[in-house]
Amino acid sequence: MIRSLASSLNAALSPGAKVIASLALVGGAITLLWPIERAPGLELWMFSPAHREMYRSTLETWGDSPEREPVEVSVFGIPALERRLMGGIFSGVDMADLVEVERAIVGPAFRGPVEAVGFVDLTDRLESEGLLDEINRPSFGPWSTRGRIFGLPHDVHPVLLGYRADLIEAAGIDLSTVETWDEFGAALRPMIRDTDGDGEIDHWPLAFWPTHEDNIEVLLLQGGGGLFDADGRLIMDSDRNAVLIAEMVSWCVGPDRWCVDVDEFTNASNSQKIEGYSLAALMPDWMCNIWKEQIPQLSGKVKLMPLPAFEPGGRRTSVRGGSMLAITRSAEDVDEAWTFAKELYLSDELARTLYTSTDIVTPIKRHWDDPIFDEPDPYFMGQAKGRMFIELAPEIPARTSSPYFRAARLELRNAANELYEWGRDNGVYTSVELLSKAQEILAARTDLIRRDVERNVFIPREPDTGESGGDGEGT
Amino acid sequence: MSITEPPRAVAEAESSAFLTPPTPEVLNRDRALNVAGSAWLFLAPFLLVFAVFVLYPLGKSLVLAMQQTYGPGATEWVGLDNFANLLRDDLFRLAVRNTVVYTLGSMFIQLPLALGLAMLLNRPSLRGRGIYRLAFFSPQLMGLVFAAMLAALVFEKRAGLLNQALHWLVGFDLDFPWLQTHIMWTLILTSLWMYVGYNMVFFLAALQNIDKSLEEAASVDGAGPLGRFWNVTVPSIRPVASVVVLLSLIGSLQLFELPWIMLQSTPGPGNRGLTVVMYLYQKGFETGDLGYASAIGWLLAVMLIGLALVQLWIVRREDRP
Repeated sequence: MIRSLASSLNAALSPGAKVIASLALVGGAITLLWPIERAPGLELWMFSPAHREMYRSTLETWGDSPEREPVEVSVFGIPALERRLMGGIFSGVDMADLVEVERAIVGPAFRGPVEAVGFVDLTDRLESEGLLDEINRPSFGPWSTRGRIFGLPHDVHPVLLGYRADLIEAAGIDLSTVETWDEFGAALRPMIRDTDGDGEIDHWPLAFWPTHEDNIEVLLLQGGGGLFDADGRLIMDSDRNAVLIAEMVSWCVGPDRWCVDVDEFTNASNSQKIEGYSLAALMPDWMCNIWKEQIPQLSGKVKLMPLPAFEPGGRRTSVRGGSMLAITRSAEDVDEAWTFAKELYLSDELARTLYTSTDIVTPIKRHWDDPIFDEPDPYFMGQAKGRMFIELAPEIPARTSSPYFRAARLELRNAANELYEWGRDNGVYTSVELLSKAQEILAARTDLIRRDVERNVFIPREPDTGESGGDGEGT
Repeated sequence: MSITEPPRAVAEAESSAFLTPPTPEVLNRDRALNVAGSAWLFLAPFLLVFAVFVLYPLGKSLVLAMQQTYGPGATEWVGLDNFANLLRDDLFRLAVRNTVVYTLGSMFIQLPLALGLAMLLNRPSLRGRGIYRLAFFSPQLMGLVFAAMLAALVFEKRAGLLNQALHWLVGFDLDFPWLQTHIMWTLILTSLWMYVGYNMVFFLAALQNIDKSLEEAASVDGAGPLGRFWNVTVPSIRPVASVVVLLSLIGSLQLFELPWIMLQSTPGPGNRGLTVVMYLYQKGFETGDLGYASAIGWLLAVMLIGLALVQLWIVRREDRP
């Protein structure tokens, strides 16, 4: 058979075709068998060109040292980085030695057994080198699972309230004495009116809506609720969450509502902010920089204040977003990668650059005394914005990571929106009246996620202690 | 005589075989072998690519659908659990329902509109037909991603072009929540804009191939416009229409990019824009549950094959004399 096939081939192919076929066979074999050698040194994947600029000096200093290998940096868009990261973890192909990732995309990396997570467990190193005390503790939360820490936090991202001081103060309203959300709504209620006679309300106190999943989570965390507890268990249907969701929805529904649906990043919403259609917005530190770049017209018109609390004496800040630096299991020299990670993230220079170029405050506590954070910011009417964020940084609520984070956050948004529509359609507007429906909706939405969580054979299910809700302290 | 020399009888036989012309049977056998060998040789590159990039992933995904996995080091065999869970999954059911609604919208609104438009633009008496044809086809030239981004701006609350225009014309509610509450209608409207002109081109080509004498004969026999449409036009364009229906069906069931972009990488409030492929993506890439995502993919494939077979059966039944 083989002989006849060979003779057939011999007869069928011209000499030229034989040469081409031979070259293809040899070339294919060489390509297949040639060993792929990794470039010497460390490789770092990241998603932010701005971060790369910030790291330039550290990278150059590191590269100048003769006993150290160079670091090659690649910047990808977040979706592309997510694909590469998950491809590496799920298929076992090589990844970079280090990756800088954003909170929203890192969840699936924690889906497997804790000993098989695609990143190197840094808990023991952090403990033995005293870094757990040196770095703002709640900032480890999003990079922790089942009591182990897998990343160095890049930031803290406390949240303040940014408000149009020019318009509000001109209306004779003083927000300095406002402590709670109820007081905030009541203080700004006189501004909810049609000022130009076109039949449309021209000013609303707060840009917040039950379809804004990020901001719902921000306020939920502020009020002591959350999606997962410290052990990563789903607590979306906790009583506290129901109270908070009912409260938030009551701000948006009915004739006495004081919130408005204004997006955060579109050109249209920027125009609405400039016009004062929304007078205040939840403002994590990184958002300050986005406003400066995208809405320069508001320079000198905005002030920051701590978030009003849900109850008197309650927490005056929250947290939103976050990035980390992790060492992947592909890293050939974990010690070298760890040394580089510390040099990059713990340096004085980065702490300053992080703030001066992106308005983000560092999670490294020893840098918090730097006078740079006391400098007045002209965009925020001369306020020492950095100091305001730092004063609240230790109080940010704890978070944990979960592969079900994104799904849970979407269902939380769906629950809030469903409650809003139910309240609107049934004429139910107060938080007390909305509460029982909120509990019912949250329970149903949580069940959708719980089924997924319970199917996961890699995360052991601990017996339910019956305690849920609240503000679990992270690792 | 050395042992390497062949015996004389053998050498003579070989020599005579060389000189004797081959019999027709031998010639046929050699030719058949040559043809078969050449065929396999030329098929080999395709077969190799097909095996590596289609057959292997297909088989692997079927295996994956029966596993839970977290990379090569952590894989658990769960049998048919993923499929069983899927059938009990409320979100999957919602995704199927949304996809079916969109598909029905495509089939029963988009295709009749495309046919109507094609018939209108097939009239020789219509001036500027070329310009209209280009105008209706032009959304296709942009590409789906760009069209979806534009549509998201058009349907935005308050600042969106549609609400602004309707508010100016008839005092329509500026805050009408197209992308929050009426998502499926918004998607169907956007897809009309995108695909009516595209499908119109197929119908137009089919209409232009209808034998004019048939229409004339029908007219002579007293058939009115409706009679000519049912008895001449529809049978004549049926082969093209069946292809258009099949392509629309497959495209609609695979709906993903349009809602994903318009709803900012989410299924929208209340999961109102959740489709089967979007759910697959969420499970596979946002939660990392590749086994479950594979099971969704296989169920989708079964649905597609089933619908294609039903459509084929209907077409063949109608074509039967």
